[in-house]
Amino acid sequence: MGRIQLDHLTKRFGETVAVEDVTLDTEDGEFLILVGPSGCGKSTTLRMIAGLERPTDGNLYIDGDHMNYRVPQNRDIAMVFQDYALYPHMTVRENIRFGLEEEAGYTAAEMDEQVEATAADLGIVDLFDRKPGELSGGQQQRVALGRAIVRDPEVFLMDEPLANLDAKLRSQMRTELQQLQADLDVTTVYVTHNQTEAMTMGDRLAVLNDGRLQQVGEPLTLYHEPANQFVAGFIGEPMMNFLHGHADDETFTGSGLEYPLDDRLADAVGDTDELVLGVRPEAIDVRRADEATGERERGPHEFRLQVAVSETHGDQNVVSMTVDDEETDHDSLRAVTDGMHVVTQGDSVVVTIDPDTVHVFDGETGETLCNRLLETEPELAAVSSN
Amino acid sequence: MSQSTSRSPIDVESLVENFNYRRVGKYALVVLFLGFFLVPLETGIMTALKTNSAIARSLPFAPPAGEGFTLSNLEYAFSQLTNSFVNSLLMAVPATLLNVLLASMAAYGLTMVSWRGQIAVFALFLVGVFVPYQAVLVPLSQFWNNMFPLAQMLEPLFAAIPFLQGGHSRLVPLTITHVAYGIPICTVLFRSYYKSLPNSLVEAAKIDGASITKIYRRIVLPLSLPMFGVVFIYQFTQIYNEFLFSFTLITGSNHPAAPVTLILPAIGSSTEGIDFGIRMSAAFLAALPTIILYVAFAEQFAKGLRTESG
Repeated sequence: MGRIQLDHLTKRFGETVAVEDVTLDTEDGEFLILVGPSGCGKSTTLRMIAGLERPTDGNLYIDGDHMNYRVPQNRDIAMVFQDYALYPHMTVRENIRFGLEEEAGYTAAEMDEQVEATAADLGIVDLFDRKPGELSGGQQQRVALGRAIVRDPEVFLMDEPLANLDAKLRSQMRTELQQLQADLDVTTVYVTHNQTEAMTMGDRLAVLNDGRLQQVGEPLTLYHEPANQFVAGFIGEPMMNFLHGHADDETFTGSGLEYPLDDRLADAVGDTDELVLGVRPEAIDVRRADEATGERERGPHEFRLQVAVSETHGDQNVVSMTVDDEETDHDSLRAVTDGMHVVTQGDSVVVTIDPDTVHVFDGETGETLCNRLLETEPELAAVSSN
Repeated sequence: MSQSTSRSPIDVESLVENFNYRRVGKYALVVLFLGFFLVPLETGIMTALKTNSAIARSLPFAPPAGEGFTLSNLEYAFSQLTNSFVNSLLMAVPATLLNVLLASMAAYGLTMVSWRGQIAVFALFLVGVFVPYQAVLVPLSQFWNNMFPLAQMLEPLFAAIPFLQGGHSRLVPLTITHVAYGIPICTVLFRSYYKSLPNSLVEAAKIDGASITKIYRRIVLPLSLPMFGVVFIYQFTQIYNEFLFSFTLITGSNHPAAPVTLILPAIGSSTEGIDFGIRMSAAFLAALPTIILYVAFAEQFAKGLRTESG
C-alpha cells in the first residue's frame, strides 16, 4: 500500500532553501509526524508529497512509483488543510462527494451510499444540507476529514488540521484522529508545530529545522535520546534547560554556577571546550532551603537558587529559578515540581541535579555528546515497541 | 450614548450639544455637490418634457408649466430609436456575455494554473488594455471589409431570419470586435479577484482528483459569480455606449443595423436647428437600459466589490 520514500528531497524557492536533502522512509500504515518550528520546511515537504510543489532535487516515491512529475490528481492521496478548504458554495454532502466523482467505478447510488457511510462514521449526517459557512470549526474539521477518507486513498496528508480548534476540542480530535488512523490503517503524514500533538499522536516523529531533518524516531526515543540540542529543546514541555559554559578539569563552568562532571560525563566531553548541559525540568529536584541546611551540607550537585516565577498547573508546578545574584543576567532554570509542593516567588530553594539525568551537547555544533542514563531501559524498550 | 434619565421623545439638550459647525459645513458641502451633479440631469429631464416654445421661454431647469408640457418629444424619440435599441441589445448582450466568460477563463488560466511564460502572456493582456481605439480603426475596417468580410458572408443567412434584414449581419463583426477589445480589461479585473480567492480551494480540488476544467466549472466559476455581476455591468455599459467601432463597421445612422449610439447624434437635428426636447428625450431613453441594469444589480454590484470569497 502507501509506502512513502523521500530520497534526498530538496526544494528551493529562488535562492531560499526551504527543504534540504531530506531522506525519509515510512512504513505502510504508519502515522508519521513532521514537526518543527514555523518555517522549518515541514509544510513544503508535505506539499511535495501531495504534488502541490515540485521537488528541485531528489526523488519521491509513493508505493514504489516515482512521483516527482506526477500531478496531485494521479497520486491517490487525500489531504486535510489547515483552513479545511471546504468549497463554500457546496453543501456538506456535495463537499464530501466531490472527490468521489472523480474515482472510477462508482455508480451514482454507490457514491451516495459511500458518502452517507462516511458521514455516519464521523457523526455529521445531520449537517448534510448545510453550507460550510454555517458550521462551527469542529464541524468543518469533520467535514474536511470526511472528504479525505471517503475516497479511501493510499496516503493521508494532514497540514496542521487541529491548529484552528480550541484547546479542548483539539485534544478530543487528537484522540479521534488517532483512532481513525488506526482503524483505516492508511499511511498518514501529519504536519504540526505543536510538540504535544507530535508526541501524543505519532508512531514516529521527524523533526525538521531550517529545512533539514534533525532526527527521526519514536516519540520516547526523541525525548530521551535526542540527536542534538535542537531536538532536545523542541521535544518536551516545559522545554529542557540549557546551561551554556565550558569544561575545566572535569568541571563545567557556566554563568553563575559550577557543576562537577562525573566520569560518564567527563568521558563524553573529552576535549570539547564549549559545552551545553541539558536537564529536563522533570529531572530537577527542588526543596526549600531551610535555615538548618547550611553551606556545608550541600552536595556537589546541589545549588542554592531563588524562585523567580512559579506557575501553578494543578497537577504540577513549573518553577523558574535564577542564581541569587542581581548583578548579571544568568540562565534561569526551570523545574517541574509536584502539584502540592508549593514555592512562592522570592523563596530560596536548593535544587539537585543528578548527573545521570544530564545531557551534554557540543556548544558549537549542537550535537549530542552524551544522553541521560535511563534506569528503566528494558521497560522503555518494551513500551516503545508496542 | 443613550440617556435613560430623559423621557421626552426629542432630547433637545443633546441635540444642542451635538451641534457643531464642522458637521454643518459637511452637510452644506454635500448639498452643494448634490446640486452640482443633479441639476444638469434635472435640466435634461425637464427639457425633454417641454414644448419648443416653453424651452425658449422658461429657465432650463424650471419644470414645464401648463401648456408647455408635452410627451410628444418622448414619443417621437422612442419611435426613432426602437430599431436601434434592438440592434444595440442584439450586439451588446451576446458581446458582454462572451466577453465576461472568456475573460474569466483567461484570468483563471493566468492565475490559478501554473505554466511557463504566463507572465509574458499576461503582459500582452495588459498591453491590450492600453491600445487606443482610434489607432485600430483603419486596420479594423480593412480587416472586416477586405481581408475577412464576415458580414458579407453572413448576409444571406440574416436575410432569412424573420424581423431581421441582411444588413444586420454587420452586427456580428462588431460583436466580435467588442469581445476582443473587452477581454484584456475584464481579464485584469477577474485576475485580481482570483488572486484573492484562497489558493487552498484549488489545491483541495486538485487533490480530490479534479481536472483543470472541472476545477474551473465546479469551484472557480460558482465562486466568482459576484465578480461576474460587477464585470458584466461594467462591460455592458462600455459596449452599449461605444461609438467609434459602431461608426467604423456599420458606417451610418441610415443603416438598418445602426445601434443607439449611431442614431443619437443625428436625432433632433435638422436644417432649422437642433430640437433640444427631442435630443434630451432620446438621450434619456438611450441611457435607460444601463440605468435599469445598475438599479437591478446594485446589490450584487456592491457585494461583488465587497466579498473576497463565497
